[in-house]
Amino acid sequence: MEASDFSYVPWIVFTPLFGFLFQAILGKFLIDRLGVSNGRRLCGLVAVLAVLVPFLLGIAATMRLAGYGPGARGTMVTVAPWIDLASLKAPFEFFVDPLSMTMVLVVTGVGCLIHLYATGYMADDADYPRFFTYMNLFIVAMLLLVLAGNLLLLFVGWEGVGLCSYLLIGFWYRDHANAKAANKAFIFNRVGDFGFILGLFLLFCLMASNAGAVPDGRFLSFDLNSFQLVNALAANPGYTTAIALLLFVGACGKSAQFPLYSWLPDAMAGPTPVSALIHAATMVTAGVFLLNRLYPVFLASSVAGSVIAAVGAFTALFAALIAFGQTDIKKVLAFSTVSQLGFMFVACGAGSFSAGMFHVVTHAFFKALLFLGAGAVIHAMAHNQDMRNYGGLRKYLKITFWTMMVGFFAIAGFPYLAGFFSKEEILGAAIGQTDAVIHIAGFVALFTAFLTAVYMARLSGLTFFGAERWRELPATTAHAAEPPPAALGEEPDPNAFYFPPAQVAERDALAAHAEHQELQPDHKPHEVPVSMFLPLILLAIPSAIAGFLLGKGKLEVWLYPPMAVPKLPGANDVPWLPWVSGGAAVLGIVYGLIVYTKGLPTDQGWNMSKWNPLRRLAADQFHYDAELMTGMSVGGRTVGLALAKGVDPFLIDGAVNATGYAAGAMGLILRKLQSGYVRFYALIMLLGVLAIVGYLLFASHGGANL
Amino acid sequence: MGILSLVTFAPLIGALILSLVPAEHVKAIKALAVATAVATLALSLLIYFQFRAGDFHFQLLESVPWIPSLGIRYLVGVDGISLWMILMTAVLGVVATGVSVYETKRVKAFMILLLLLETTMLGTFVAVDMILFYAFFEAALLPIALLIWVWGDEGRKKAAVRVFIYLFAGSILMLVGMIVLAQLTRNATGRLSFSLIDVQAAVAHGGLWAGALNLEAWVFWAFALAFLIKSPAFPFHTWLVDSYTQAPTGAVILGVLVKTGTYGLLRFCLTLFPDTLPHATPIIMTLAVIGILYGGAAAAVQLDVKRLIAFSSLAHVGFIVLGAFSMSYNGLLGAALGGVNHGVATGALFLLIGLLYLRRRSRGINEFGGLKAQMPVFAALFLISTLAAVGLPGTNAFVGEFLALLGTFESGFAHISGLSVAYAALAAAGVILAAVYMLILFQRLFYGEPRLPAVRRLRDLKPWEVALALVPTSLILWGGLYPSTFTRPMEASVNATRMMGMNAVDQRPVWGDPNQRLDARLNLLTSEAGPSIQVSPAALHVAGPIAAFSGTSRADDAGGGE
Repeated sequence: MEASDFSYVPWIVFTPLFGFLFQAILGKFLIDRLGVSNGRRLCGLVAVLAVLVPFLLGIAATMRLAGYGPGARGTMVTVAPWIDLASLKAPFEFFVDPLSMTMVLVVTGVGCLIHLYATGYMADDADYPRFFTYMNLFIVAMLLLVLAGNLLLLFVGWEGVGLCSYLLIGFWYRDHANAKAANKAFIFNRVGDFGFILGLFLLFCLMASNAGAVPDGRFLSFDLNSFQLVNALAANPGYTTAIALLLFVGACGKSAQFPLYSWLPDAMAGPTPVSALIHAATMVTAGVFLLNRLYPVFLASSVAGSVIAAVGAFTALFAALIAFGQTDIKKVLAFSTVSQLGFMFVACGAGSFSAGMFHVVTHAFFKALLFLGAGAVIHAMAHNQDMRNYGGLRKYLKITFWTMMVGFFAIAGFPYLAGFFSKEEILGAAIGQTDAVIHIAGFVALFTAFLTAVYMARLSGLTFFGAERWRELPATTAHAAEPPPAALGEEPDPNAFYFPPAQVAERDALAAHAEHQELQPDHKPHEVPVSMFLPLILLAIPSAIAGFLLGKGKLEVWLYPPMAVPKLPGANDVPWLPWVSGGAAVLGIVYGLIVYTKGLPTDQGWNMSKWNPLRRLAADQFHYDAELMTGMSVGGRTVGLALAKGVDPFLIDGAVNATGYAAGAMGLILRKLQSGYVRFYALIMLLGVLAIVGYLLFASHGGANL
Repeated sequence: MGILSLVTFAPLIGALILSLVPAEHVKAIKALAVATAVATLALSLLIYFQFRAGDFHFQLLESVPWIPSLGIRYLVGVDGISLWMILMTAVLGVVATGVSVYETKRVKAFMILLLLLETTMLGTFVAVDMILFYAFFEAALLPIALLIWVWGDEGRKKAAVRVFIYLFAGSILMLVGMIVLAQLTRNATGRLSFSLIDVQAAVAHGGLWAGALNLEAWVFWAFALAFLIKSPAFPFHTWLVDSYTQAPTGAVILGVLVKTGTYGLLRFCLTLFPDTLPHATPIIMTLAVIGILYGGAAAAVQLDVKRLIAFSSLAHVGFIVLGAFSMSYNGLLGAALGGVNHGVATGALFLLIGLLYLRRRSRGINEFGGLKAQMPVFAALFLISTLAAVGLPGTNAFVGEFLALLGTFESGFAHISGLSVAYAALAAAGVILAAVYMLILFQRLFYGEPRLPAVRRLRDLKPWEVALALVPTSLILWGGLYPSTFTRPMEASVNATRMMGMNAVDQRPVWGDPNQRLDARLNLLTSEAGPSIQVSPAALHVAGPIAAFSGTSRADDAGGGE
């Protein structure tokens, strides 16, 4: 297959890159020039186009790719050199194969809809162009991640999405809490990257040890090395397990698996479109993508497979339980995401990588839909996110309600909706395995599927059914504007560093104007504008039917054609599974709706002391996160302070000073020097140099040997 | 006068002209100083264009007898490792004089010292004669100490004395070592010479240490100590914390001063002591790993911006030292690259913090907050510098630190010199700490509401300040996105350095043999004149305990290939 057929593939990445540069350089200027509403409209249009164009290119490339035989789908498009050494070559190269194109379509397709939604959601934000700057940059990084032709370039995208996630979680930068959530996300991901990079090193050593097999130095590239890789792995089973587990640590960080999951719920501090795009549909699935991209590594180690399945199943159950204790609508969805990602890892651990990818795709649709729906609810409810204030919203938000119900039924695994098919493939792959750990993981996942239906019914019931609980809120008076800080001093300003006081007052007045709005008892929710409900409808369709299009092995044949890929260890068929998993979903939905459509149960109200102790524990994430964060920050602080304030001044400087004083004391005794060690050093140095130069002169004449 | 001398002494010439200008013409003095730095940078670009990549020898050599009876010459040259150090110094010279436009105290003396400092550092990088190197290496101390003594902050005098004594004492022994080397060279070749080229030739042919193996370790440590103090490596870093904190804003170039230390390690310690290296490597690499973790942990609790940067420098230097002593191709290249990258990245951070300090007169990280709202352009530039400090891919720091860590891992994996992968694993954990302290710094400065009255008055950077800051920040991105610009001229010299340290007698490259060619791609050393030497050079990659596997079977089957 010809790389020239895909010469336009780099533009899939370049287009959003231009979008990013456009927003970053021209965004603010255009808004100043064209006025706020026109300028924002133009910026929004460009931002959406910058994701729509790569989507269309992706469709074209996918169709071209499908035209080749199943065994020949995979080509490398090299753009430019990047790291270009005799010992290692990692060019900017894009690998076009079914896996990367599937991800491209998901990222740009869902991404485009979320961008469109965000033009409405963020319409009143003062930092509108900055938002789309980061969003387009995220698309660039994510596409780089999925299209990367070598592991190092993948790591660039991997870190790039992490950066954008950091920037977007902290997008509303005036609140330190957002910044802390952003820091937490970045640092937790760094812990994962620690494993990733060590796994990469080990993989590199493995490949480079037989450099003759890879004469061009592209040791980390995906295309040419796959067979060398398989052979190298087969010859070194111990290292294979080590590589797999180290890379899985990286996947745990990015995809929020236990023990590194707790940044994701905090990441909900970002704007809701960000939660939908980055923290639900695309970035957090990068770990699953990594496992698929390097499936020979994970397939070759049964130990790693068991570990992955066990971690996935535990995370799925753990997060689902926590979701029952959450009252913030976005937090419920966040823990649901963690839980669903656990399902994907169960599939990969069971060796069914295609099932994991299948769930990545369907989850991208229905979870993006659910988040955008939640965003519409939040938008309609004056940015209040607590479900205890909601209720009865189906009357006001008809489109949001119906589309979210589709998402709810899809994620719950209601028969013949998208989630039903992908979950069934996962459960079948795991339960059908003979390995005890994976087998049990499958049953844990099956139980979690039931829990999923219940807590999603809780979310839907509390939001859309029952009484309108915000009516009972105490009326709050308009937020009293905070008094501006103390008057500014009139310091001399010869360098023109400061605004004159009049201008500062002007800026204060402007800032006071942007006042926060609170949910009032007389609030009347309004359905969202078309730019926001259109994406909901467009996402509801694939959430309903994607299972038919991709299920029953269709995606598996596309990703892992049986004739080209060594047959994955097949699971035994589990004939009873569709009935049981579908039944569990229906049962969970019915039970949940019965309990939660009646309104807020009294034991889940505002008074948390009335809660069931188990639910309180779930609300606190079983104390895991709090203990971890306290331990890390207190421990780290103690160590750091001990070093900086203890070891440095006393031990190290003490030793240095002691040396100096000793020298000085010696000087006092020997040389009768009165003025400390400074002069002593100088003198000794002079004498020493003289002595050596003298010796040298003498030696050069006398010919003495050292 | 050759181009190297011209570049080296251009700042000195500028300083001499400055000394003729009456001190009250402050504007003219500032303009002249900046013009000198810009001219130096322009001239240094000529070096870049005349440099032939792929040749490991010293190029553009200039040789003038200085003290013939002692074999001391004015000998300067440039190779792939020093090339970028020179260019980086010239770039930061412009940045340093540029930001010093805000200096108000004794401007003339300040500018003269700054330019003198630039000359000494350029001289350190071009010197090929050891005594010349030593002279420049030590001469840098005086302007640095004076700059801190007169223009520093509240604890400046103590810091100035300390930096002077610390560094001066540290390098005394190196001078002794140089003299021993020259003497041994004479024993081996019959000619007294302080030229690094001659010394290295004697080492490469095995003659130099043949009669004095018991001396080798002593001389090695004399050099290593001087450079480890200057770099600085743990536990010699306390002078750096003081001087970074106290240094005036214009001392952006302090970041280059410490690079003379890591440069010295590469230039001397790796090339001249092949028999000592295997024993010394674990010790030095242990210090480097401690420095990475220690610096990161200590930086995370600092409340003073400049102290934070100082401790972070300790950590970054750890990566450079680690890569250098891994003696692997990737690691050594990462070290050579890391010297340049860290100089640029620290320069950017220092410049931006300096610009902030000029406005607020405060270094406390809790005395800002909300700067993102107040100074968005400044925030964007600072973000790029922060990302470089964190080592994010796409910035230059990533390439250097990644290669250094990879090389360290390779050597540890193959148990070269008794190393293990633990070195790389622990050092990689330092990357987590970098994120911790830099993100804390970024949050404290930029997030939140601008509450403090003094912060709420701040304007964003002026256009020329933005342009000045764009110099290092664009280099950060350039080095991250297209590192070939930096690595291509380096590769031959890096590989030669590695083979000088790793290969057996008479299989080592010789700077003094102009006919030798080193093919980095094939990793072969050949000589055009006479019968080509049969060499078995150290492999680009070390195999380690990997089971052999075949790489070709089934390659023709369908699948990933084209």
